[in-house]
This record gives sequence, C-alpha cells and structure tokens, in this order.
Amino acid sequence: MALTSNMFFLFTIVGLCIYYTVPVRMQWMVLLVCSYCYYILVSVPAVFFLIFSTAVTYGCALWIHRIRLSGQNEKKSAGKRKRIVALGLFLNIGMLGFLKYFNFFIENVNRISGGHISFLHLLLPLGISYYTFQTAGYLLDVYWGRVPAESNPLKYALFVSFFPQLVQGPIGRYGRLAAQLTAEHKLEFSRIKYGLERIVWGLFKKMIVSEWASIYREAIFAQPEQYSGIAIFGVLLYTVELYGDFAGGIDIVIGIAALFGITLDENFRQPFFAVSISDFWTRWHISLGSWMKDYVFYPLTLSGFMVKCQKKAKARLGRKKGRFITIAFSNLVVFVLVGLWHGPSWNNIGWGFYNGVIIAISGFLTDVYQTWKKKLHIQDQSRGYRLFMMMRTFALFNIGQYFDCVDSFGQALQMIRYSFTCFQPSQFLLISSGKTGTAYTPYALLILGIGCLLWLAVSILKERGIKMEELFTKVPPALEFAGFLLLFLCIPLFSPMSVARGFIYAQF
Amino acid sequence: MRNFRRTLNLVIGLLLVVFAIKGLDLALYPCTFVRNDIHTVTTEQKDVIILGTSNGMSDLDPDAMLEGTGKSGHNLCVGGEYPVDAYYLTKLILEKQKPETVIFELSPGYFTTEKEKGNNYLLFYHEFPLSFAKAEYYMATMLDCDFRSPLFAFHEYELSFELSKVKDTLYQKLTDNYDVSYLKGTVQEYHENGFIEKYPVSVENFPGYSPTLFSEDEVKKTNMEYLDRLIQLCKENDIEFIATTMPLSAVMLVQEEESYRKAWDYFAEYFRMQGVTYYNFNREYYMNFGHELTNYVDYDGHMNGESARAFSKVFGELVFGTSIL
Repeated sequence: MALTSNMFFLFTIVGLCIYYTVPVRMQWMVLLVCSYCYYILVSVPAVFFLIFSTAVTYGCALWIHRIRLSGQNEKKSAGKRKRIVALGLFLNIGMLGFLKYFNFFIENVNRISGGHISFLHLLLPLGISYYTFQTAGYLLDVYWGRVPAESNPLKYALFVSFFPQLVQGPIGRYGRLAAQLTAEHKLEFSRIKYGLERIVWGLFKKMIVSEWASIYREAIFAQPEQYSGIAIFGVLLYTVELYGDFAGGIDIVIGIAALFGITLDENFRQPFFAVSISDFWTRWHISLGSWMKDYVFYPLTLSGFMVKCQKKAKARLGRKKGRFITIAFSNLVVFVLVGLWHGPSWNNIGWGFYNGVIIAISGFLTDVYQTWKKKLHIQDQSRGYRLFMMMRTFALFNIGQYFDCVDSFGQALQMIRYSFTCFQPSQFLLISSGKTGTAYTPYALLILGIGCLLWLAVSILKERGIKMEELFTKVPPALEFAGFLLLFLCIPLFSPMSVARGFIYAQF
Repeated sequence: MRNFRRTLNLVIGLLLVVFAIKGLDLALYPCTFVRNDIHTVTTEQKDVIILGTSNGMSDLDPDAMLEGTGKSGHNLCVGGEYPVDAYYLTKLILEKQKPETVIFELSPGYFTTEKEKGNNYLLFYHEFPLSFAKAEYYMATMLDCDFRSPLFAFHEYELSFELSKVKDTLYQKLTDNYDVSYLKGTVQEYHENGFIEKYPVSVENFPGYSPTLFSEDEVKKTNMEYLDRLIQLCKENDIEFIATTMPLSAVMLVQEEESYRKAWDYFAEYFRMQGVTYYNFNREYYMNFGHELTNYVDYDGHMNGESARAFSKVFGELVFGTSIL
C-alpha cells in the first residue's frame, strides 16, 4: 500500500474519522489497530516479524528495568543488564541481518569459493530496517537509563508500528514519540491545515520533481553512449530524484502524523546547503544519522578498546592525530553500516566507505585548511566562502552518487568519463517524455526546472530561519488556500503520466 | 461563532476544490467513444451485448450481425478491455436493463497479460454513471492505483491535454451531446452501435507486429477468475453467454501455430467445462470466413469495415440463424 495510493488515503481518512470520534482516552488504541491493519493489508506474514521485534525489545527492556529496580548488587546487576541487552540486540538485529543480508553473504561466499550454495527465499518485511533500528534504539535507551521501560505492551507496540512512519521512517525516538502517541488529541484546525499542506508539498516533490527527474535519469543511464553529452546531468537528476522521493515521502508521513496530532522528527534540513560532508549528514536522513551517532559512533569511540587505541595512537602520532585516527575509524565503521543499511550490495558499502573516507580526510586536513584560510584572508562566515563550501560538498556528494546509481564500478567510471569529456545538453531533446514522445520534452524540462526552483526558493527561506507556517500566518487565508489549491492541481496537471513509482526508501 | 466560521470556511474550501477538479475534468478529459457506448447501454434496451477486445470492436458490426432477427445489439468491445472490465460492464448493464445474450470475444493474449494499473481502468470507470457497479469497480481496480487515477482522469493526457478539443469537449458535455460525427478519425469511424469501422489498408502498409504468445503456464489467475464470474453472472440472470474468437489471418495462424494451438486447446476445454458455446473461427469454424490478409488492416487480425460487415453476417447466421428460423 504505497503512500500515494487511493487505498492509503482512504485508509487514512477512515482512520482519522474513527480517531476523532472515539473518546480521547481510546485514541491510541485506534492508532494501534489502524497500524496493525495497515501492516496486515500490506503483508500478513510480515506481521510476525513486527510482533517478534516488538516482543523481544519490550521483554528485554522491562527485564532490564526490573533488575535496575530490584536493588541487586550494582556490579552483578550491571553484568546481567549487559547480557540482556546483548541478547535483545542479537535477536532483534539478528533477525534484520538474517532476512536482509543472508543471501548477500551466500552470494559472496559462492563468488569467493566458486561454490553453488542455494539462496534462501526470504521474506523482507516492509519497513524492517526502520522499526528494527527504532526498537534497538529504545532498548539501548532503557539500558542506559535514558528512558523508563514501557510497561504496557500495547502502548509499546504502537510506538513500534505507528503506520505513517513504518514504511520509510523517520526512525522515531521513544523519548520524543511515545508520549505523543498515547496522549489525547483534540481536532485542531491548525494542525489539520498544516498536515494537509505538508502532504501536498510532499506530493509535489515526489510526483513532479522526482518523477520527471527519474524519467530522464533512467534514459541517460540506460543508454550512456547515446546520451554521453548529458551524463553529468544524469547524476544530478539522480540526486534530485532521490531527494524528491525521500523528502517528499517524509513530508507526506509528517503531514499524515500531524493530522493525528502527532509531531514526528524532521528528517531533512536543506541538505544541499551543507558546508561539509559531516554537516551534510546532519541534514540528510537526520533520523538515521543521529541514530548512528548516538548508538554506534559514541559507544564505539568511547568503548574501552577504542580508548586504549586512542591512547596508543596519541603516544605515537601526537595528541591531535591520535585522536583523529580513532574518530576517523569510528566514522568509517558508521558509514559502512549506513551503506549496508541501504541494502546488501557492494555499491552501498562502497558508497558508505566513500563518505567515511571523505569525513576522515576532512578531519585530517582541518589544520591545513585553517592555515590556507589565514594566508588567503578568508573569513569562515563570508558568503563567498560558504558558497564555495556548499558547492564543494554538493560535488563530493554527487561523485558518490555515480557509484550508487549504476550496476557496476565500470559503468560508474564510464559515466564519470563522459561527464568530463562530453557536453551536449541538446541531447535532452532526444529523450521521450512518456506517452507524448519527444514533442513535449522541452515543456517537461521546464516543469522540472520550475519545480526545482520553487523548492530551492522554499529551502533558502527555511535556511534563513523563516518558518513556512509562520510565513503563511502573515498571508490572507484566502491567498494561502489559493496557493495550495494551485500547488495541488499542479500535481495531476504537470506530473508525468505514470503509475507513481514506489518510494525508493520504502525498499529499505 | 468562531467555530461556525471555521467550519463554513472549510466547507467552502472543500467545495472550491471539488469545483476546480470537476472543471478541469470537464474541459480536459475528452469525449471518448466509450462515453457513447456506456451512455447507450445504460439508456437503451439492447438484446445482444458484445464484450471483448479491439478485435471484437473492429470485426463485429451488431447491425449486420442481427440483420433480419429483429434484435438490437451494441458492441462494447474496446482495445484493452480485460475480463475484469467486461464483468463490471455487464454488472452495470444489469442495473439498467437485461440483455438476452452476451457475446464474449476472446483474444488469448489478454489472458496471459495483466491489465496495467492506473489509467487503463479510467477509460471505463470515468464513464460509468453513479451506480453500485461503479463503486464495486472502484474497489476492485482503483484501490491500488495512485490517487491521481480516479480523481484526475485528465492526467492520462499528460501535457498535451487534447487542448485542441477543449471547445468540442465542453460543448458535448454541457449539452449532453453524443453525436458520433465527433468520433470520426482519419483511419477509422465509430458507429452508433459501438462498431468501429476501420478504413482499408494495403498489406504493404501494415504496421509491425509483435504477438503476445500464449502458454497455459502464463495464464493470469485474475483474468480467469473474472471470466468465471462473468459466466456465472450471466447464468444467474438467465442471459445466454456465448464465447467466440475472431478469424485471424492465415499467415499469422501459420507463423504462430504452436502458440495458437495451445490457446485454442485451453479455451475449448475451459468453455466445455463451463457449458458455454465457443465459436472459434480459427479452428472449428475456420472455413466459415476467409483468412486472406486483404480482409485486414494489420497483422493483429483487425478487419477492414467491408470484411467486418461480411463477417458479422456470417457470424449472425451461424449464431442466431436457428432462432431466425
């Protein structure tokens, strides 16, 4: 049930009607029933994995909590809690690892050994990567004493399964989400309005910007020789497609949650205004980035082993370099995991590694940059320097994308070669824009261009700290309504004629 | 007071959205021949209804077929009409009238492929009048489609939007005009009985052909389920159900002999089990009509108007001949 399907919208409308009709204390139960109904409609067998992940983390967290309260000897208690959290994580992440990566492992074993071990026909439940991380995060939070364990299994089940975010995030944090889910919500006009506007904005990003970009990107990557003159646009379009698809999907999810009175975490913060790759990862897929930072990066960097390594490195290489080495190593681990999270393929691992290496190099070169900036009298906050940094980050990100959007390393190199040796934008006019062939390609490109510019304009305003919701309060309501009606009607009028492609990030 | 104003604003806002969508639909979704077809079968009593694909649409002229029988008929065949569409079209017809006979024209390729989601359903859905059949058709076909499909039917004409036809479209819709002269094209002509007369094409100008080959393994369950339901629906309503396959050119029958043989075996057995009479003009009734390429306008088996009329007479005599006597 795609986020843009009639079924999903009807499901949401029916859910909302019931949600605001029942007594407020029962609202969370309606949400829970809706969430499980949604998941059952998507796939019945997959529900068992959702229940398994919920049950394991619920049980382990409660167990940890009870041990903590039992007044046992602290040393003994800590050891027990450690074993329980390890068991919970092993079962929970083990399930994800087995379902998602087992066949990838077999493929590589076969490749290395020349063997023919058969693949298993494994079910990959929808949204497993999201809810596994969400539950693992909760378990660790309880283990570290950041949040109390939830005693009501149904309330906890709702936290894991809240249906708008189940398919493509954002990965929720128990501390911020759980209380909202079970709180009582009155029908508020302002929230409904905000939710609807967010949904329309998300549909615009997905159906106009992302889908037109995907049509041209697909054509370029399907026949790179024929479209060698626009190879560089191929990768830029892939970035636009990916961003429109994911950010659009998240807008829809946040909008739907808002209709239920729930505020989800933002997952994007103008990522292409980032001045470095590290900055980029605090703006793109924020919920995954912050999850990795809190549950992998810091625990790894502060682990006994790494602290020992850091001491040794500091002794040999000096204080700064020694510290950098351990941080760089943790970053590499984090980004390889981020790559793997995106899917079991060497492309993804390579892409993650690339990001990790860039961040590591940036760390090592910090001093060199400072020296250059001093010599060249460059101010960190100057507009020109910031623009340069943004463009540099954008370029670095896009170089990584070459390896993400093709099937092989060779093809990526071929595309890079074409990007820097051929340039013939008129080749765009040879690409069919769907049913109408090439006749309407210039118009379609214009629509894509205007869509991107509109999005850029909104992003600039947001980057300057202007909140769109507050901006709209200064506009007469009739004008605001007319604007959104126009935006809404633009979707069927100017989106490509196709069944909406599934959301890319819903595959993870 | 404040709540009342907010509610009023909300209602006005929603009405504006509805009017905007309706207005765009009125202007941008052109009048298709399916609009005429559905209007006819929901407003006029017909004795014989023909369902099926583009082959049935171009090969069976109800007037020629039923000449001298005193019966009336309408051809509801359309290229892209799958069993699911045929089933709900029949349900819609049954809400308005009760035909004596339903003829189902069968093209084997339609059973090994799945109807694409989305706008393919709109051709029919858009023209269905408000009815239970429309609601059921929506539930069966539209739920998985993205939200643009039923709400914004004009989306099917992306970017071009048939803007040249807007004036005619508005005129026809606003005046409830079903004049067939609007549907006359350069290569074919629509008739009031639903038959589409194709203008002759010389063999050397036939378009290229890539047949959808048949194999039993590739038969899609959904298509057979809806065919079962269609037959059952006719039985329950005491409507005679007849199946047929239009004559194809001898050249194609030889070229794809194995694929066609499998198809004819499969459907002959299926209809035997269902107790349905099956007129296959490529096997049992092969000799009833010529299979020369000159009868057709392409290799797909679409006949030119003249041959179609001649064939329709042959078909009528064979199927309804006994009842005339």
